[in-house]
Amino acid sequence: MSFILRQIPDWKIFVQALIALLVPILASKIYKRFYSLIDDRRNDASKKPASDADATPSSTPFSGDYQTDTETIRSRIGANSDLTAREFTMTKLNARATLYFVDGMQSEALLNMRIMEFLAFEATQESLSGSGKAGEQLPFNILTEAPDLDSFNRSVLYGFAGLLIEGLPSGFLIELPNGSNRSISEPLSEALLRGPRLGFSEVLSENTSMLRRQGYSDQLEMKGFRIGTSIQKDLVVAYMKDIVNPELLQEVTARIRKINADFLAESGYVEQLIEDSYSSPFQQVHNTERPDRVINALMEGRIALLLDGTPFALIVPTTFSMLLQSPEDYYDRWLSGSLLRMLRFVAAFVSLMAPAFYISFIAFHPGLIPTELALSIIETRQGVPFPPFIEVLILEFSIEILREAGIRLPKPIGPAMGIVGGLIIGDAAVQAGIVSPFLVIVVAVTAISSFSIPVYSAGITLRVLRFVGMLFAAVLGMFGTTLFFLLLCSHLTKLKSFGVPYLTPASPFRLRDWKDLFFRAPLSLMRQRPAMLKTQKSKRKS
Amino acid sequence: MFVRTDDKITTSQAAVFLTNTILGAGILTMPRSITQAMKTPDSWLTILLGGVIIVFVILLMVKLCQRFPGQTVFQYAGRIVGKFPGGLLCLLLILYFVITAGFEIRTLAEVTLFFLLEGTPIWAVTLPFVWAGTYLVCGGINSIARVFQIVLPITLFVLLVSFGVSLRIFDINNLRPVLGDGILPVFRGLKSSILIYTGCEVVMTLVAFMQHPNQAAKAMLGGIAIPICLYLLTVIFVIGGLSIDSIITSTWPTFDLVRSFEITGFFVERLEFPLMVVWLMQMFCNFCSFFFQASLGVSQVFKCSFMPVALGMVPLIFLSAMVPKSVQDLFTLGSAIGMMGLILFLLLPVLLSLIWLFRTKGLKQHV
Repeated sequence: MSFILRQIPDWKIFVQALIALLVPILASKIYKRFYSLIDDRRNDASKKPASDADATPSSTPFSGDYQTDTETIRSRIGANSDLTAREFTMTKLNARATLYFVDGMQSEALLNMRIMEFLAFEATQESLSGSGKAGEQLPFNILTEAPDLDSFNRSVLYGFAGLLIEGLPSGFLIELPNGSNRSISEPLSEALLRGPRLGFSEVLSENTSMLRRQGYSDQLEMKGFRIGTSIQKDLVVAYMKDIVNPELLQEVTARIRKINADFLAESGYVEQLIEDSYSSPFQQVHNTERPDRVINALMEGRIALLLDGTPFALIVPTTFSMLLQSPEDYYDRWLSGSLLRMLRFVAAFVSLMAPAFYISFIAFHPGLIPTELALSIIETRQGVPFPPFIEVLILEFSIEILREAGIRLPKPIGPAMGIVGGLIIGDAAVQAGIVSPFLVIVVAVTAISSFSIPVYSAGITLRVLRFVGMLFAAVLGMFGTTLFFLLLCSHLTKLKSFGVPYLTPASPFRLRDWKDLFFRAPLSLMRQRPAMLKTQKSKRKS
Repeated sequence: MFVRTDDKITTSQAAVFLTNTILGAGILTMPRSITQAMKTPDSWLTILLGGVIIVFVILLMVKLCQRFPGQTVFQYAGRIVGKFPGGLLCLLLILYFVITAGFEIRTLAEVTLFFLLEGTPIWAVTLPFVWAGTYLVCGGINSIARVFQIVLPITLFVLLVSFGVSLRIFDINNLRPVLGDGILPVFRGLKSSILIYTGCEVVMTLVAFMQHPNQAAKAMLGGIAIPICLYLLTVIFVIGGLSIDSIITSTWPTFDLVRSFEITGFFVERLEFPLMVVWLMQMFCNFCSFFFQASLGVSQVFKCSFMPVALGMVPLIFLSAMVPKSVQDLFTLGSAIGMMGLILFLLLPVLLSLIWLFRTKGLKQHV
């Protein structure tokens, strides 16, 4: 009995045990509260689902009476100064008609000369119904009947030319919008040395055409959606019909239908609204400007989402290894591709862990590094007034500010500022004894490593986590750093992207997919699509 | 199935799970504890013998589990011996898991305080570690198994490299004479060698989570083969490198082995740093496994949801880690855990199998 009594710990231990209990409970409570605040996918009641491109959100039908319809259109959108309505008489039909278009969104010459001439003097009932021989003589590519007045108005304001004819029950939309656009150029964020110099542009039709132009195929399918409640935008879901897993496709379309936003400015909005976990620092959707990257992902059985108005396409599902792959790995020969890819993995690790290692070694365990190295580092740190953690923070912050400034600076000044910031300030800081030269090396290597990651947003993630790692290292040294790594692993193993575990093929282990993880096997060996995507056709070659 | 709802693990994951549950504190302390009991350099024979015994034990557990597909021991124990006695047996098992988890954490804390963070209060090491474990355990068995899959290759790699490099101080004479004192010391050491296989009880819950339970025997044997080989290598290299006289006096002999030589011109001069890191990771896995089993047990015996139980388990584990007053106490607890493991083995798989056989074959009842 006395033995048992002696073994009972004192009250401090019990207090600590209580703390041990409270912290996780509080953390999980806060997390749940926070998550229910930002996750609006759960309360389905307030949802206004996105509609397919051909469906209509609200509708006022055409009355069929020309006079009433023109009045209605004028009252609804007539106030716009850039809207032109030209009324004319169609001689063949002997009917009045009005052509609506917005300035600057149509090719003026075509409208004025050819189309007006056709409409005024040649157009017949048959040619406008788009059938028979007469239909082939249309001087414009597109002729669709608008289902109702609202969509007619919307389309006209979006840039279509609209036609309203007396005696015909509905308005026509002719001629696609032809506004001013950026010319197609090489993607800025994902430059390659070898590979197509082609990046997506801001026009959805151009982007889809780029995908189509990748090669002859009747299996590449694109489905259109209209999303947004107040300003609608087109979103295209592209996939290979014979490869993609139908359940994955269902899941993606279901999530797109659940999107509830009034306006989607960029595909980043879509990404954030369909991803699995909001609270993870890791992106679960891959964004890219490169059509070749998209088509390769589709051939693996993934799904691409293209939004109008942005050059960034989204690829789902995403796994961690995708963020460290570059299309060049496949264009180059396999040996060099594999080596470069391994180099990137190392760089990712360095950019995440190097400052944490520095802090834990210098502040806690100088004995664990080779004696001479330790001596030389400590010698250079003579006279540095800060503890290693603060020292690293100062330098890391300066580097981050420099990087941020480099993006904002006008092109001519950028490199000059980089030299001033990096070289001069760094050197002066060492001279002034604020930081040690060894640390400058560490921080510089870290910064460069984070730029070697092919996906820019993944680099940001690692940079954010680097600071967390530094904090762990500052508190608990090597133990803390190891703990940080374990926490990261725990988080990543919980994470999923559209049902695909984030860390495949490393874990859950799929040996088949290892051919394309740390190294890239020769193309002749890549006979199968990734196992993790559970595609319909797993064989790539016959 | 893209968005999976079932919580099942693959065959290889099950094997890795078992391996990581068994590989724990033993890697560092086992050469000393066994050598102390035997006083001869024949520890490797003991480990082999213990390994063979454990293989049969695991096979027995697997066979028992396969009679109740999809059920863990916490569920089928009640079906075999009745609700109340079954619950009691399960509670014993849960207690054993909690104590073991506490033991692992305490060992980790002691090693960390000794090698890495001298002068840090012990709670500052244990609390963050337990919390990190809680975060992982709340993710369910799938996340745990995946983390194990990441950690195990790293562990194997570093351990094998360490042993490979320690060949330079390896002296075969330290392992001689084989069986100099006859066979008796080998059996004397068996008691301590059972401790290093602590954790094989998880087989009784693991099989229920397997996607293909018919491959359970294969998976579990694969899972136990790795620790047996690793322990064997450890004991051979440590004894061969240090000789039994210095092992008996050292607290963490495996560390002393890697500290006893230097590699010049390499990024790390001594391999103790990588070994330390992988050992920390290994202990994390080990601890999470016991933590998960204990929480699972409570939630299944009392039929409540898993998350609150896991959170409520945190202070219990912390307390059980804090009970030993010193490293000496800790090692005493270690041997006690070995004994408990033995008793539990007799109680659970053996007794349950016998009763089950008696009821189905003897009394022709349907269980």
